[in-house]
Amino acid sequence: MDMKRDYYEDIRFFTSGVTVFWFVVLIVFLSAFPFLVKNYYVYVANYMAINVIVAVGLNILVGYTGQISLGHAGFFAIGAYGTVTLMTSAHVPFLPALFLAAGTAAFFGFLLGLPALRLEGPYLAIVTLGFGLTVTQVIGKLDFFGGRQGLHAPDLVIGSWNLDTDREFYYLVMVITVVMVVAVRNIIKTRVGRAFIAIRDADIAAEAMGVNLVVFKTLAFALSAFCTGIAGGLYAFVLRFIEPEIFTLLMSIMFLAMVVVGGLGSIMGSITGACLLSWMDLQLRNILSFPHVGTWLESLSRMYFSITGVSNIQFILFGGIMIAIMLFEPLGIFGIWIRTKKYWKTWPF
Amino acid sequence: MRSSGFKLAAAVSALVLGLAFGVWAEEGVTDTEIHIGQWGPQTGPAAAWGSVARGTDAYFKMINAEGGIHGRKLIHHMFDDAYNPAKTLAGVKELQEGTGMFAWVSGVGTAPGLAVKDYLMERKIPWVGPSAGSLHWITPPEKYLFAVYPLYYIEAKALVRYGVEKMGFKKVAIIYQNDDYGKNGVKGAKEELAEHNMKLVAEVPVNLTDSDLKPHVMKLKNSGADMVLLWTSPKHAVITVGTSKAMQFSPQFMSTSTCSDFPLMMHISKGLWEGVIAATFAELPDSPHPLMQKYKKDAFEKFAAKDERWGLFFYAGIVFAEPLVEGIKRCGKDLTRERLVKELEGLKDFQGISGKIGYKPFDPNDPSCRQGQNHSPDG
Repeated sequence: MDMKRDYYEDIRFFTSGVTVFWFVVLIVFLSAFPFLVKNYYVYVANYMAINVIVAVGLNILVGYTGQISLGHAGFFAIGAYGTVTLMTSAHVPFLPALFLAAGTAAFFGFLLGLPALRLEGPYLAIVTLGFGLTVTQVIGKLDFFGGRQGLHAPDLVIGSWNLDTDREFYYLVMVITVVMVVAVRNIIKTRVGRAFIAIRDADIAAEAMGVNLVVFKTLAFALSAFCTGIAGGLYAFVLRFIEPEIFTLLMSIMFLAMVVVGGLGSIMGSITGACLLSWMDLQLRNILSFPHVGTWLESLSRMYFSITGVSNIQFILFGGIMIAIMLFEPLGIFGIWIRTKKYWKTWPF
Repeated sequence: MRSSGFKLAAAVSALVLGLAFGVWAEEGVTDTEIHIGQWGPQTGPAAAWGSVARGTDAYFKMINAEGGIHGRKLIHHMFDDAYNPAKTLAGVKELQEGTGMFAWVSGVGTAPGLAVKDYLMERKIPWVGPSAGSLHWITPPEKYLFAVYPLYYIEAKALVRYGVEKMGFKKVAIIYQNDDYGKNGVKGAKEELAEHNMKLVAEVPVNLTDSDLKPHVMKLKNSGADMVLLWTSPKHAVITVGTSKAMQFSPQFMSTSTCSDFPLMMHISKGLWEGVIAATFAELPDSPHPLMQKYKKDAFEKFAAKDERWGLFFYAGIVFAEPLVEGIKRCGKDLTRERLVKELEGLKDFQGISGKIGYKPFDPNDPSCRQGQNHSPDG
């Protein structure tokens, strides 16, 4: 859409005064948010922000490098367990523990990237799927990680600041989320990011151009796993209790759905996809208390489903919305945004 | 002068107002309503346990139809968390901070429960009868958390004692789910056997995802056990019994309350469940107990959905809520959380449709003060 005339135009953070304005508005809004809403919505925001980190990280892999992963719940688990055990067993403070755990996740990401050198598409999907399932099995076997009984997260203390409310935790999560998103955005704009995109578009051509596939494919996995590990570490403190059964295949699929629904290969898309899906995940059950719609859905489910159908209907809605988005806008929510922007470009004439 | 007098008046009236609210308005209680929250998976891997919440719902509707408790109706807020702790926490926060719950009842699952435990306890909100027999609820005991479910650990002790003393079995083995639930069974069995100078002849772990149990049953058979404890999910219990029959290994099987829904177990095992002895935490579905008859007639038949089944999981929802309702009744008109805790602590040998329930005044060093069905194994 916008024609870019030189390199610096491509890499600079703000393309115009308008974007500076909106960025400032966003930051002011995010800072004021906890004071504007009920505590419950702060919790929802924390949950969303964590999913944003995962989606942006997974997008590096799926959207920019053209690989696939059905095992990101595994990295998420490594991040969560790593952070908690480092803090409780080795008494590492929170932030270093978080980054060490994410580093561990990145290492496993690198290992998982190795078979990706030889596998593509459905085959790669199966390998990553296996990884995701294996991680929780292994963790469940080790008493060091609490086995199947799970682990309690310790108190979250940074320096002398004890973050024991959702609002305090919100600021930590938001700062980390903004930093991660900006960092990922910058990586994508560098040589590394361009190499990823080249691999996605045509890996043989990329190799012929001098892109080292071994380095960049594994790097994409490692970076993606790192982001997910950070998010996992934060998630442990949202729940304050973790056990292997939490990190299911369904979770991996949700992560992938966030990226795809949001729009592949777009950071804004991943952010909106993650926000939308986590919002629906937590809130769709309330649809039954909606006037008219709720009663109608309830009678519908009583007619065609069993008694538990009343709540199954939220999953049907969830699936329906995702199918509709994919059907009418294959580029995801980001595609809708692009078209809207194009449509209004010449406004008011 | 005038302004300071005004300030003083404002301060005094604020204080009076504050006091008034402090004394009279307990969160979730009005002159006509008491708000009680509950989560339960209606979807997802544990959806079979969803009937617990629906059982509680029918029970509360029955009480309301009979005029409520001291003029107040029980308003039941239940939501589906799909056994996903993040959703449990979200739903609990939403209801607690939105409508405001007076107390929470039941709530299926160890992981969902543990995710919300700190939240409820920090806010001093009573929670009665988590639906999972985990030691987590009472170690350490919490002032506002009252467990009703018998411990799997105690169940194992009771069964072993019964098998060894009454039925004269010499070789006891256990097949257990490789988690908290199963390991509690192993612990109880070992302790009870040690008292009889015996040991388990085999301990065979099963993972939730295993589907072929031939190697497991082979180990049991080779141990020569004459009594086998099934500390697994209903599915695995049935597979074990079936595989054993196929391998011509027929010890006395004994199982936990988890597998004590006999009509269901007979159905899924196609009759093989015949002869298995199971611990249970409540009356059996066809029990002639007058309360059971009443619940079936006034709660189940009037208020349950058409497809609902009068099974253990359904009336488990009543079992977990009975002590709470009794506590609220004993509070009288003046209902506060502190009062409720005091009344619950005063329960002694309270008899509903489960075993007798009693609590003791709070003692951080005594887990049994918050364990309702906490009897000696003979109980």
